[in-house]
Amino acid sequence: MHRDAFYSVHPAVNMAFFIFVMLITCLVLHPVIVGISLVSACAYTVVLKGRKALVFDLCLVLPFIIIVALMNPLFNHEGVTVLFYLWNGNAVTKEAVLYGLVSACMFAALIMWFYCLNSVMTADKYVYLFGRAIPTLSLVFSMVLRFVPRIFKRISLVSRAQRSIAPPMGKSAVKAARHGMSVLSVTVTWALESAVNISDSMRSRGYGLKGRTSFSIFRFEKRDAVMGSLLLLAFALSVWAVAAKRIYFRFYPSIKTVPADALCVIGFIAFALLCLAPVLVNLKENILWRLLKSKI
Amino acid sequence: MEQTGNKSRLRLILSLVTAGIVVPAVIALGVSVWDDRRFYIVSLLIIVASMVPMALRFERRRPAARELVVLAAMIAIGVAARAAFYMVPQFKPAVAIAIVTGVAFGAESGFIAGAMIAFVSNFIFGQGAWTPWQMEAMGLLGLLGGLIFHRRDGALPKLLPLCIFGGLGTLVIYGLIMDTSTVFTTQSSVSWELLAAAYASGFVFNVIHAAATVFFLLILARPLLKKLNRVRVKYGLLE
Repeated sequence: MHRDAFYSVHPAVNMAFFIFVMLITCLVLHPVIVGISLVSACAYTVVLKGRKALVFDLCLVLPFIIIVALMNPLFNHEGVTVLFYLWNGNAVTKEAVLYGLVSACMFAALIMWFYCLNSVMTADKYVYLFGRAIPTLSLVFSMVLRFVPRIFKRISLVSRAQRSIAPPMGKSAVKAARHGMSVLSVTVTWALESAVNISDSMRSRGYGLKGRTSFSIFRFEKRDAVMGSLLLLAFALSVWAVAAKRIYFRFYPSIKTVPADALCVIGFIAFALLCLAPVLVNLKENILWRLLKSKI
Repeated sequence: MEQTGNKSRLRLILSLVTAGIVVPAVIALGVSVWDDRRFYIVSLLIIVASMVPMALRFERRRPAARELVVLAAMIAIGVAARAAFYMVPQFKPAVAIAIVTGVAFGAESGFIAGAMIAFVSNFIFGQGAWTPWQMEAMGLLGLLGGLIFHRRDGALPKLLPLCIFGGLGTLVIYGLIMDTSTVFTTQSSVSWELLAAAYASGFVFNVIHAAATVFFLLILARPLLKKLNRVRVKYGLLE
């Protein structure tokens, strides 16, 4: 399976990136911030999945934005600038329309970030990240991950065996259901018994004893440190701009914002760089690859 | 290595009380810091605040390897069962299996199992803003199932009350939690009318889900519990 360049960065940096971006996206309801987030999420989905992502973005996310954006002015009549009145006498206000649009884009951006998260944060990365804080639970988690494919394999095995010893399945639904139940029953018993075997094996290898170390495939390298600190810096700058109220946007009762100054622009740029980090990493790797290839 | 009777129940109540203090604090913080529109963040914090004590309790108890692996096997069965029914919307056995796990191993393991089934199966169905909600909802059902029906001697519960609990629990607890999350994650402003509309439109799906839970509890609960009891007797588990 093809993985993008950001995937190979240390899991902690991956996770920090998604937390930073999603936090700012859903806490700072500002048209520019939401716009930056939406565009970068869209760009990253395309980097990750290419054509398939475009279909997802245009056929699912875009209609979602339109529907959610339309719903707010229909249900919400706050705001002082009345645009027109509905058939039932309720006012449609400019503020409600804008608020609906911005928050629809915010939800859409989050959906797309989750779409990216699903292909970057694979289960092994969660196991690694949680391993320190909640070792027992992440052990259970990794055992479940191993168990699920084994159960499916076992089901097909048992099903074939049952078919060859029991009379061949007729068309009747009752027979099919009975067959399914016996396959399930056998598989569940097997799963529980093999669980006990696994635990015996764990105990004989010293599970729970002191001083045991665990192996992990991930290493925190210099580039991870560099990338992590850059992301943290960008996050801090944007939070600073928001906390200092230089990035500020009020919807109700009337739209109010602050004139852009240096800190505000720095905040926007920092947030844009934060959001675009995975795309930029991919771009860099691509260019590097082309350069190396052209040298041959 | 399970804590015995009263002590464990006391600790459970204690952590529920802590959650009861943390939750209002979070709501207060949410209302005062981000005006009351940031429903999603506040509710997310509440969910995390209620999950952390459960997770920590489980960690601190240092469960034995046998308990862990059998629990993992039950969770895997739940995940596989949910995945096997992926083409039938809402008609999923996962909640039933979370409840059965709670009945077999107690409230705490029930919560862990429910939350974990939701979390792991979402690697197949897709993680999203709904993941914590699903974890909380399924975990709660596993927890309640354990609180109400778990017997330390492994006595099988009566099927009728179990099914009634499963059906109502799925319909009311799971349904309300998930429909609320839908509103919080897709509506720009939250009002009682919108919530009512979401509950009304989600009702049919919740009824299907509840029916599925009752159905699977009917056919799975006894065989599964018997198998678990057999493993428990055969290998001296959880003593």
